[in-house]
Amino acid sequence: MALDGAVQAPGAVRRVIVFASSITDPAAYDAYARPGIRAVAEPASDVLALEAAGGVCRSNNLLLEVAARREDLEALVLVEEHVEPTDPGLCGKVRAALSDPEVAVVGWMGATGVSSIAWWDGRISCGPVVVRYEEHGGGELPACGWTAVHRPPHEVDSVDGRLIALSPWAVRELRFDERLSIGFGYDLDFCLRVREAGRKVVTADIGAVHHHPLELVREHALWVEAHVRMAEKWDGRVPGVANDRPDWKQRSRRAEAERDAARTLAYSNASHVEARARPLERELAAMTASRSWRATAPLRRLNRLLGQRF
Amino acid sequence: MIAFGSAITKPDVYARCAEPGISRAAEADSEVLAQTSTGTIFESYNRLLERGARCQGLEALVLVHQDAEIVDAGFCAIIRRALADPAVGVAGCVGAIGVRSIAWWEASVTLASFVNRYDELGGGDLPAFSWAWADAPAYAHTGEVETLDGFVMVLSPWAVRNRRFDESLGEFHGYDLDFCLQVREAGRKVVTADFRAIHHRPLRMLPDPEPWMAAHVAVAEKWYGRIPGIGSEPGDWRERALRAEAERDIARAMAHSKALEAEARVRGAQRALAEIRGSLSWRLTAPFRRRARSAV
Repeated sequence: MALDGAVQAPGAVRRVIVFASSITDPAAYDAYARPGIRAVAEPASDVLALEAAGGVCRSNNLLLEVAARREDLEALVLVEEHVEPTDPGLCGKVRAALSDPEVAVVGWMGATGVSSIAWWDGRISCGPVVVRYEEHGGGELPACGWTAVHRPPHEVDSVDGRLIALSPWAVRELRFDERLSIGFGYDLDFCLRVREAGRKVVTADIGAVHHHPLELVREHALWVEAHVRMAEKWDGRVPGVANDRPDWKQRSRRAEAERDAARTLAYSNASHVEARARPLERELAAMTASRSWRATAPLRRLNRLLGQRF
Repeated sequence: MIAFGSAITKPDVYARCAEPGISRAAEADSEVLAQTSTGTIFESYNRLLERGARCQGLEALVLVHQDAEIVDAGFCAIIRRALADPAVGVAGCVGAIGVRSIAWWEASVTLASFVNRYDELGGGDLPAFSWAWADAPAYAHTGEVETLDGFVMVLSPWAVRNRRFDESLGEFHGYDLDFCLQVREAGRKVVTADFRAIHHRPLRMLPDPEPWMAAHVAVAEKWYGRIPGIGSEPGDWRERALRAEAERDIARAMAHSKALEAEARVRGAQRALAEIRGSLSWRLTAPFRRRARSAV
């Protein structure tokens, strides 16, 4: 259905940017994606909100199948329910990116030098995206805040699939690989197939809020399994990567060393977390345990009740 | 006689860390072999072993990193007990079993009686799990292990006279696991003992990962098939490669998450502190706190 206020002249052939979400958590969709879409969509835009039908690939394919039937489709913007687009210029930026007929996918963040589903280990291209988290009292941090990012637009190897715009060609010709049932890496796979078909994947300078915990990946075992499956699927076929016959023993030794070094770095970072946060948290605990702070607690409670600053 | 040996590349660090610990632990007849180091740790430690082997009445040679500080005044008695079993070749205060690589901390650590004392961010201590027995988990215990952390290693006279650090392995990393594997291959034991030490080191554990990774591979290649577990993982080489690459990438993601968590925790605490300090009730009660402080 068209967004509130959309007016379309009868019989007019007008190309439309369609927003689409598959919903597993209606409350999250209502809180984040829906208001975001409303804020950035054009009056003529349509919103396709469907209940998720199985995994992310099957659900996205359902959205593509519905959208593909539209003759007036200008682009399909897939919005994951925890993503809140905030950029009123989103449609214009998508349109500009898709004005190059070779572009099939436009993303909010992506990277070059991507060799696995951990696309963030490449050279990141990302617009003004923030992660809004609830831990530690809540707050916002720039997306990919652990490293330097490059401001779009860029042609990239892969984009993060939680906010992407697809060209009509992509919507009609490609589908997400439903064999990748674990739910990680579907976006990289889609981008690889776009590039295999000779089309481009790009980022656009799109602002958005990602409502997400601080932990980048939560289901570690599943993610590892998805990583392996993707590597097996694309082994020797990644566009632009030399297809050398790997020395598996050498590659294994190297990867095991790199893995253990990466784990050690993670422990180091955890130590840094403790070292930076503990003194402040100790000070905070001492303040809130002080007699004066406790003695004045009733006043603060009263103040809150009165709903005005003391 | 229990001898102590250190390879010194930074005399100020040795004077601040290892030296006071050795003074605390040493007995009247202990020899202290403080040796300026110019080559690799493998070479320096071998020179210390040669000097130790010439010591009359040697009971043990304690190899102490220049940034490690022994804290127990009763250290010598503790290690005498550990070495009372003639099968023991080497002892330490941090050890693990189920070890597959120089990243021994990825295995099952049975004892970790140390603190990491760092200077960054105003300085502080991060105690490991058996620093204080009262707080130690159920799996903390002394006994036989597969490897030790080399920052403090106690070598039996047999080990001093019959084993050498393998200078072909690199500059620094992996010397401790390799030495423990040599001891075990010779049928001797590697054990943990109930002493404690402070490791004065930065929070960042691997500032330059490349030499560490090279040592990881070199030690795996050297011992694969000789000592069960070392250099081994399930699956064929292809499966191992793909899985390790995945596990590497998830570890990197965890490192990124930790960086974000640091920022979030610091910001959260700073915000809460600012709110309290800015509140009227805190400001009104400031004179009482000042009076209480001056009364102390």
